[in-house]
Amino acid sequence: MSTATVSIHEQADVPQPVQHGAPGGFVRHCNILTGIAAGLVLAVVTYFVGSLWLVPWGTTTANYVQVGNDALWAATFIAWVIGFMAGIGAFAGPIRWSLGRDLTHADAEYLAGKDLGRARYWKYTTDHKVVGLQYLVMALVLFGVGGLLAMMIRTELGVTWKEVFSPDFYNAIIGTHGIVMIIAMIIAVAGPLGNFILPIMIGARDMAFPRLNALSFWLLFAAVPPLLISLAMGGIRDGWSVYQPLSAQAPTGAIGYQVTIIVFAFSTGIAAVNLITTTVTMRARGMTWNRVPVFAIGIIASSIMGLIWFPMFQYSQVLALSDRAFGSSFFNPVNGGSVWLYENLFWLLGHPEVYVVVIPATAAMMEIAVVFMRKPLFSYKIAVAGFAGVVGISAIVWVHHMYMTGWAPAANYPFMLSTELISIPFGFLVLVLLGTIWRGKAWTSLPMMAVYVLLWNKVVGGITGVYLSDTPVDQYMHGSMFVVAHFHFMLMGAGLFGAMGAIVYWFPKMTARMFDERIGSIGFWTAFFGFQLTFMSMFVAGLQGQPRRVLQFDNAFNISNWLSTIGAYIIGIGMLIFLAAVITSWRSGVKAPANPWASTSLEWQTQTPVPLENFPVLPVVTSDPYDYGVPDPYDTASSKDQAKQTVGAR
Amino acid sequence: MSTVDQRPLADPEQPEEPTNRPAPRDRFREWIARPYARRIVILTVILTLLIVPVAFLVLHFMNLSGGPASPVMYEIEKTMFVFTVVSAPLMAVTLAILLYSLVGWGRVKAKGLEPPMQESPAIRGNSTATVLWISATSVLAFFLVVWGITELATITAYSYGSTAADQQPNSQKAVVVNVTGQQWVWTFEYPDEQGITSPTLVVPVNRPVYFNVTSLDVVHNFWAVELGIKIDANPGAVTNTGVTPTKLGTFNIRCAELCGLHHAYMETTVKVVTPEEYQAWVREMGGKRMA
Repeated sequence: MSTATVSIHEQADVPQPVQHGAPGGFVRHCNILTGIAAGLVLAVVTYFVGSLWLVPWGTTTANYVQVGNDALWAATFIAWVIGFMAGIGAFAGPIRWSLGRDLTHADAEYLAGKDLGRARYWKYTTDHKVVGLQYLVMALVLFGVGGLLAMMIRTELGVTWKEVFSPDFYNAIIGTHGIVMIIAMIIAVAGPLGNFILPIMIGARDMAFPRLNALSFWLLFAAVPPLLISLAMGGIRDGWSVYQPLSAQAPTGAIGYQVTIIVFAFSTGIAAVNLITTTVTMRARGMTWNRVPVFAIGIIASSIMGLIWFPMFQYSQVLALSDRAFGSSFFNPVNGGSVWLYENLFWLLGHPEVYVVVIPATAAMMEIAVVFMRKPLFSYKIAVAGFAGVVGISAIVWVHHMYMTGWAPAANYPFMLSTELISIPFGFLVLVLLGTIWRGKAWTSLPMMAVYVLLWNKVVGGITGVYLSDTPVDQYMHGSMFVVAHFHFMLMGAGLFGAMGAIVYWFPKMTARMFDERIGSIGFWTAFFGFQLTFMSMFVAGLQGQPRRVLQFDNAFNISNWLSTIGAYIIGIGMLIFLAAVITSWRSGVKAPANPWASTSLEWQTQTPVPLENFPVLPVVTSDPYDYGVPDPYDTASSKDQAKQTVGAR
Repeated sequence: MSTVDQRPLADPEQPEEPTNRPAPRDRFREWIARPYARRIVILTVILTLLIVPVAFLVLHFMNLSGGPASPVMYEIEKTMFVFTVVSAPLMAVTLAILLYSLVGWGRVKAKGLEPPMQESPAIRGNSTATVLWISATSVLAFFLVVWGITELATITAYSYGSTAADQQPNSQKAVVVNVTGQQWVWTFEYPDEQGITSPTLVVPVNRPVYFNVTSLDVVHNFWAVELGIKIDANPGAVTNTGVTPTKLGTFNIRCAELCGLHHAYMETTVKVVTPEEYQAWVREMGGKRMA
């Protein structure tokens, strides 16, 4: 099956790389356990060496005692990341290359996990399908952690007559819930599906940079422990936005947040470059830009935003870390720093991040709607224009998070304009989905129901977003529960429910098992109704004037909070049922045929389970993957229009 | 070397070249005659009528103490009401299509692992629908922008116009209050009343109040809920806002920016009183009117 690749290497006139030792070299000895061991050893050594030197240095040289301890923990966390990456074999590639030892074909096959069985999931494996499944499990774990924290928050807010948690711990769980869920949502679609499905969908044998692909996942893996350990170190007590200078007075747990974001930003940047390059350069023959699946376009749009805006967020945390670890004052007003500088840097990513999450989910829904309606995509060009419009305008909307900061009241006018204009390209995406549903017979399978759910949630989230984009309204709503309900409708209602639908849709290809839709649907709909109850009630609490991030509040808000908490528990039950369906189907589901949905998209044309290099013979593409449907019985007047469109699309 | 176009003018008597496309009115008649089109239009109208009352619900929830307590709050509530009403048709049409799709255009189920392979019309684009949708959303967006800018100018005038009241007689001069946030209390200082300070805000009714807001430690947010004003209290900077309370009563002030341990308890009240009560309060606090 990989004969095409082998034959290139076997040509006589191409100098062959020399095989040094067994295939794979140093990486043969590495797996997740050696990684964790090396990371822990380096972290412990750094901690002890550092405590001999950094803490005394901190107490003598800087303005406050904290500095030494913070520098120590920053060094420890960074040592963990470096040690882990060394232990799992991430540096073997660059070292080999600097020694002048190119990879042989046998090496490359070992790295891709050939003949390694299940062990390849625990190693620095370059095969995009392995990386995709690793991302899927990681996303599920993060959703589990974030969901547990959400349950704790709602428990505290439902018990209105006393404090369940101490204010310290409550602040720590809201901050950790926020950032864990943000990370989980960012990887939820682009991680598992972007890595596993996208290369097959465009007819490639792997990603453009397989080793960078492994790097992006294991960086994410290394980035998460500091975040979770920080809960034991006082936690992130300042919200997921960690505004300065509150973050500067938070306990050492804040360092965990900063290191995690700095490392995670590298991970997303690498993944984004990889996804974009793969789609641009690795498409099958005949796949012109008019024939690229819209999901790939959505992933590119999302990656572009991540690539441009994540460095802002990363740098805000580099500077914040410097403030804590070296006593500098980028954001400390006492020594001439600016809190507004931090807020700007943060929201430069903080807002586009929502689109980074929602756009891949929406694009996945377009693929799903097409297959389950057995209709062509309503308009490929309008969909692409919608993505482009959102990406473009997303660059100039961040100040709507700062209407009430007093930073630049005059800037509220232009940013109100840009924020309300972004609803127009968003409308394009809704139009394409509605147009694809229009007059079709729906195959009401679970993935298709996710399309309906996403559209409803997105319209609710979009309209409440329009309220918030209006400065006078924001003067009442800013920092209230209304905002929380609004962005949960976008991130969870559109992002997470969309991701659930997309994962069910591609589940047979990824796991070679059919998803148990009967149990899955029970979980999905339970979660959906719980979601509506939770966040509709939260809108009411916001309208009544409840600020966000509080653990006790006026009795006037009791009823809406009780309803919200009941809804949250229903979501929790629904999600557990859904998770049970995922796990049981994955372990013992019905064996999946190669193309259970009768889709024309490339990823369903190869066999299941997908072989190492995806296709025995690389496909040649002759049309876009949306060629469904029968001639329209009503189609008389607009036949000329349609002929034109169809020619353009083929 | 004449540059005059010498081609014959089109004869106005001559009928235009016939096209395949019927006139828009006829096309609409043909479209609305289709059973699904009529039903979706009716469903949209019904849903719009069901959603519009939500606007009253919004007002109900924003008006716990009954009626806006300042012109600013009145403008905010008006905006919420109008936005809910104008976005109702958009929400209704989306919901109508989703609901109708599930009941009207047919559903199919798979039998075992066999895809149903149902037949749906191959609709690739529709210029009329596209133009209508994009125009409708654009008109709506531009309406919201124009409305928002006008309203923002209005409430800015209400809030910041108070400083221009210097020339007015004493009884109408703005009350200046320096608001200081610190973990986790608010302090209100009245520089014009010999610097009296108070942990609660007391202001006279129907007289502009002008706030200089700052913080001693971290970022707080000064939110006088029922008065509809909100501004960050930043360390190292002074921000401003203002309001003219028009309703007597005691209202809430909350911190709307996470500020650490006791953020939830960083609350106080604003008491809007008659001018006489205000004078009495100032005297009681130990101040004396200057001039």
